[in-house]
Amino acid sequence: MGTDAAFLAPVIPAIAFALILITGRRVPGIAPYLSIAAIVASFVVWIVVFLAFLDDGPGTRSIEWFTIGTFEFTWGTTVDEISLVMLGVVSFVAIGIQIYSLDYLHDEPRLWWYFAVQSLFAAAMMTLVLADNLLLLYLGWELVGLGSYLLIGFWWERRSAAEAAKKAFITTRIGDVAMLIGIILLFRATGTFEISGITELAHGGAVDESQLKWALILIFAGAAGKSAQIPLHVWLPDAMEGPTPVSALIHAATMVVAGVYLMVRLFPIYNMIPEALDLIAVIGLLTAVVAGAIALSMTDLKRILAYSTISHLGFMMLAIGAGAPGVAMFHLLAHAFAKAALFLAAGSISHGSGQTDIREMGGLWRRMPFTTVTFWIGALSLAGLPLLSGFFSKDEILLAVHTGRLNDAFLVVTFVAVAFSVLYTGRMLYRVFLGRLLPHNEGAHEPGIRMWAPIGVFAALAAVIGVLAFEWGHEYMGFVSWVEDAEEGFHINTAISGGSIAIVVIGLYLTWLIYMQRRISASDIQRRLGFLATAAERKFYFDEVYQWGIKQVVLPMARLTAFIDRAWVNDIGVDGPGKTTRWGGGILRYIQTGMVYNYALGMVIGAVVLAVIWWSI
Amino acid sequence: MELELVHFQVLSAALFSIGIFGVLARRSAVMVLISIELMLNAVNVNLVGIAAFSDRAADVRVFGQILVVFIITLAAAEIGLALAIVLRVFRNRGSANVDELNVMKW
Repeated sequence: MGTDAAFLAPVIPAIAFALILITGRRVPGIAPYLSIAAIVASFVVWIVVFLAFLDDGPGTRSIEWFTIGTFEFTWGTTVDEISLVMLGVVSFVAIGIQIYSLDYLHDEPRLWWYFAVQSLFAAAMMTLVLADNLLLLYLGWELVGLGSYLLIGFWWERRSAAEAAKKAFITTRIGDVAMLIGIILLFRATGTFEISGITELAHGGAVDESQLKWALILIFAGAAGKSAQIPLHVWLPDAMEGPTPVSALIHAATMVVAGVYLMVRLFPIYNMIPEALDLIAVIGLLTAVVAGAIALSMTDLKRILAYSTISHLGFMMLAIGAGAPGVAMFHLLAHAFAKAALFLAAGSISHGSGQTDIREMGGLWRRMPFTTVTFWIGALSLAGLPLLSGFFSKDEILLAVHTGRLNDAFLVVTFVAVAFSVLYTGRMLYRVFLGRLLPHNEGAHEPGIRMWAPIGVFAALAAVIGVLAFEWGHEYMGFVSWVEDAEEGFHINTAISGGSIAIVVIGLYLTWLIYMQRRISASDIQRRLGFLATAAERKFYFDEVYQWGIKQVVLPMARLTAFIDRAWVNDIGVDGPGKTTRWGGGILRYIQTGMVYNYALGMVIGAVVLAVIWWSI
Repeated sequence: MELELVHFQVLSAALFSIGIFGVLARRSAVMVLISIELMLNAVNVNLVGIAAFSDRAADVRVFGQILVVFIITLAAAEIGLALAIVLRVFRNRGSANVDELNVMKW
């Protein structure tokens, strides 16, 4: 046992996936229980591995996969602080989500399929997290993409869901292709897929710097696709077409942070190339600001949450770009629980009241007090209300931007992004839960225990997980130091913390004035902002630009390719020889008279010709 | 007149040419077969002649005659088979005219 047992965590859900596929159609009833049992088993594996880790420290284990020539491919697991945090989050959140799904999707005819894909996703995600080499990681990476695709398209009868699934798959695939090229470049430069081996060789100076730079930038493109960074973020809001628990698990807490996780995992290499870190920081910050601005103008609750997710993923990337992977991991942890609680609470709202548009909500706390409390905890935690976990993680990010390798201009823009996150949080909280209860929401009600229990647990964790930031003694110098193996303990910068608290208070007060007191008119602000407001509402025209690009560039190229394929490859290349043979045969067959003496004459002429040739040589 | 190798060869060539002519010109399957026999025997004559007039040792020259015996045997077997086929064709179609046996074409 010990840390070597970690491989069981992905294997058990994979077995559950196979079992559900076999039994699914005949006994659909057991699918949920198989799936939940498997994910609980994975969580138990995590506990065992975590305890072993506390005793023995990090461990890796790998076995032979296959050999090509002299090169040996391996399966392997790495157990260290980063993979343990991710593994814990994935298995724990997945348990809650799957239990929640039991009620949320109870009358779905394809429930067994839903749980089959949930198991597949869990197995793939844990493979990705534990992989000790880039090839295995890429395998898990693509499989989580598949799981995401299948679950977004769970209601594939609805055209928009099918379209959203395709969009998610193709958009992330664009990044993934770049990432695969990057991995192959790294392999060519170092001759190994193993992350530790690549890191060692890169630090030893065995890799050409510009080659390393390009490989890392390409891998970051993959991470940007998966983690919905600008300009590859467009798929995530549309992914909300899937069932809400799926949005909570895959598109908020786990899969979308895979890109962040990858950056943290490869951080020792990225740390060598300042340009790559600069790129990550710029993209992350841009994402945080732009997505925050869009979230301010969305009206669909789940889409607000989706843009909030994108914005927070941007914060995580920013932390990595600032040279603080531990901070990114901490924000990932705080965000995972808070966002899971938020999405599940949003699901409970749409389940209990049938509404998804915040303009149709209001005063819901009267009917759904529990959901209200959990939602507020999650949202305020992410907005950075002091003492909730998001406050600490956001503070650490601001501190990292301030003290890290980045220019202080980044800090200013980061504060703007933080301000956006407070503003959209306030808008969401007031419009959904406070104010007048609309008549068509009179019938709104709280969900059953299988739904509220997971929400409550996640909200509680979102509230208190921040204590991990503190120093607990010499063994544990705070979460960030623990992850980064640093000596430095937890500390706080009063100016920055004060600034962020001020932003929270002012932001919540402003939104209170706008949406509750109505002293400031929202439409007036919109008018004054003019073009900016419209642009934010139209999501800064990313979709339009892509649509234009697809229409003007991709489709004509596809048509050209199709034409070349039909006209040249098929008509000339394939059909051509066939037609020529047929035509030639059509003429030559008239030689076959059926008259035996014609053939005999042919033989004689042939013999004479041969004889003449013979003698003339 | 002394018998020379050239006489054998002329005879052989003449027989072979007659055989070719017969195969090409005759319409009756039986006549075509007989012409083929003529061609085979032209080869036999050629072989015997060369075997007799060769400068090789006697035990090598005798192979030419052995080969002739083989050809005669094979020719007998072949003509037996061929006549049987012609007979069947005649029974089925009421004619052994090769002009009419032309279904194996385009």
